[in-house]
Amino acid sequence: MIEVSGLKKIYRLGNVEVEALKGISISIQRGEFVGIMGPSGSGKSTLLHQMALLDMPSAGTILINTTDVSHLSDEERTNFRLMNLGYVFQDYALVSELNVQENVALPAIMQGRSLADSYAAAASVLEKVGLAGRLNHLVYELSGGEQQRVSIARALVNKPSIVLADEPCANLDTENSWIVLELFRAVNRDLGQTIVMVSHEPWHQEFFDRIIFIRDGLLDKDRMTREHKERTDEGL
Amino acid sequence: MSSTSHRVSIFLALRSLERGNRFTLGLTVLIIGLVFVMLVFQPALLAGIIQVENNQIVDYMYGNIAIEPKEHHLYIEDVSYLTEKINRIPGVVASSPRYVTAATFTYHDTTLGKTLTSVNPSDEAQVLTIPDKMITGEYLSDGDRDQIVIGELLAGHKDTSLDKLKSLGGVQVGDTIDVTFSNGVVRTYHVKGIFETQSTTVDQTGFITTKEMESVMGLSDKASIVLVKLSATGNENNFRTTMLSYGIQEPIKTWSEEGAGFVGDINTSFSLINTIMIVFSLVIGAIVIFIVIFINTVNKRKQIAIMKAIGIKKEVIVNSYLLQVTCLCIAGIVIGLLMFDLIVYYLTTHPIRFPIGDIAPIIEPVRLLGSVITLLVVSLIAGYIPARKTVDEEILDAMRG
Repeated sequence: MIEVSGLKKIYRLGNVEVEALKGISISIQRGEFVGIMGPSGSGKSTLLHQMALLDMPSAGTILINTTDVSHLSDEERTNFRLMNLGYVFQDYALVSELNVQENVALPAIMQGRSLADSYAAAASVLEKVGLAGRLNHLVYELSGGEQQRVSIARALVNKPSIVLADEPCANLDTENSWIVLELFRAVNRDLGQTIVMVSHEPWHQEFFDRIIFIRDGLLDKDRMTREHKERTDEGL
Repeated sequence: MSSTSHRVSIFLALRSLERGNRFTLGLTVLIIGLVFVMLVFQPALLAGIIQVENNQIVDYMYGNIAIEPKEHHLYIEDVSYLTEKINRIPGVVASSPRYVTAATFTYHDTTLGKTLTSVNPSDEAQVLTIPDKMITGEYLSDGDRDQIVIGELLAGHKDTSLDKLKSLGGVQVGDTIDVTFSNGVVRTYHVKGIFETQSTTVDQTGFITTKEMESVMGLSDKASIVLVKLSATGNENNFRTTMLSYGIQEPIKTWSEEGAGFVGDINTSFSLINTIMIVFSLVIGAIVIFIVIFINTVNKRKQIAIMKAIGIKKEVIVNSYLLQVTCLCIAGIVIGLLMFDLIVYYLTTHPIRFPIGDIAPIIEPVRLLGSVITLLVVSLIAGYIPARKTVDEEILDAMRG
């Protein structure tokens, strides 16, 4: 599903080169809920940005659903994001001039669906994230937790095969973080969507199937979680 | 671009206009409106000035058409026959033969060399409107022999500091002035009236009757020029052909050809000034619109990056900005038109008093349309550059701010 090979990312700050990723190779399977963890500055967000096609790698390749996305043009990357990926930002990143329903419907409209169809799809997803009563609210009228749920709903509206989330709970309190993580868990379980989430909170681990630890731009550890084993055993 | 992209552009543009900052929106529309007024007001005012000048040529100097002596001839011969022929042509209101000569005017100790024109007052009154422009006294009558009417600039003031040009120093109706003709004859005339047309050329001259001129100069049935008044202005070139078909053999000139010499240069100068000011206004307008859109897009850098991140194409975002600019520009033009109409209405009822006459701006539809199109194009360019610049920024750079 996602094959990352020898991925490097070098930032140039004046004459200084900073190697944020030093040749990471990982493989993520369809339907996995993967947490990317590591200390601050380890390169976990950089890795997610490369997988989300928000940034271009300096070296290495990324295959998503068999497409080598590391060499796509700018327009192709935009289209690929629209058709295949959902992305949840740390700071919600909603469009302030659109109301809740319009924010969620926007990717669906861009995919070519009718306005009515897109609004209906948005309403349906918003109901799933518990915001059915907030459709016509503007984003600044919502709490941080609600805004993040709108952001998740927007990432899900086109039913992408992969959802990427960059520290979605960083600005939320524990209660709202729990709601968001439960939401991801439910989406992963019920719709089979692959979820890759960056986090630095140890207690988030229990929600993941698998955790990839990054340290100093390199893969440190890659392991299945105990919770995943228990879930798998229960499934068997 | 696909219909979906257009749909999304329109969707984003409408939402932005609907929910954007009302103050910024209003200010932008007002600025575009003022730029539009700047674009159209000045040409309208200049058009008003040019029209006044043209009217002066038609009303006070040449009528619609002037017939001149044949080449190498000093006078038009058999004028009465010629004017009869002219007056029979459909569309001709009247014709007025004139004899024009240089003369020296003397009043007390002041002597000035100016132009003296003789007219048949009743004919002249049908062709030009000088008889309606008397500020004191009366215009000439057909039988007048020892009477003269003179222009306000020639009459002047006792306090010569009030004079725009050198004058006779305050001639009043009833005063007498001596006129020395080009053949050396000197006659004394009672000033019957003083006129003011606000045309500098006309207001420096004097008029006597043709009968008087003929007696002094020993002429008969001759004229230096015959002025023709038509029932409608604007068709003079075609009318020249008609006159030729009626057997008029003398050179026929339209008022615009007669006025081309002195008014042409002024009009060309005005057109040049006009063009410079329009370019200047457009540059100011473009810079203002550029700044407004630039600030707007810079403030929305993150929002634009978000849209790109969720899969909205760059062209869709740029087009949404262009649509917004178009809407703002149209609204600005409408506001500008309303302001311009109000100004024109006010200045039509209260014309500006220029030295050459009362000036009211004139709306020329073609120029108005040209200004609308120009402002739209300039706005789109001024809106496109910052929108494109912001959209081309890397997503993560824009997100970080």
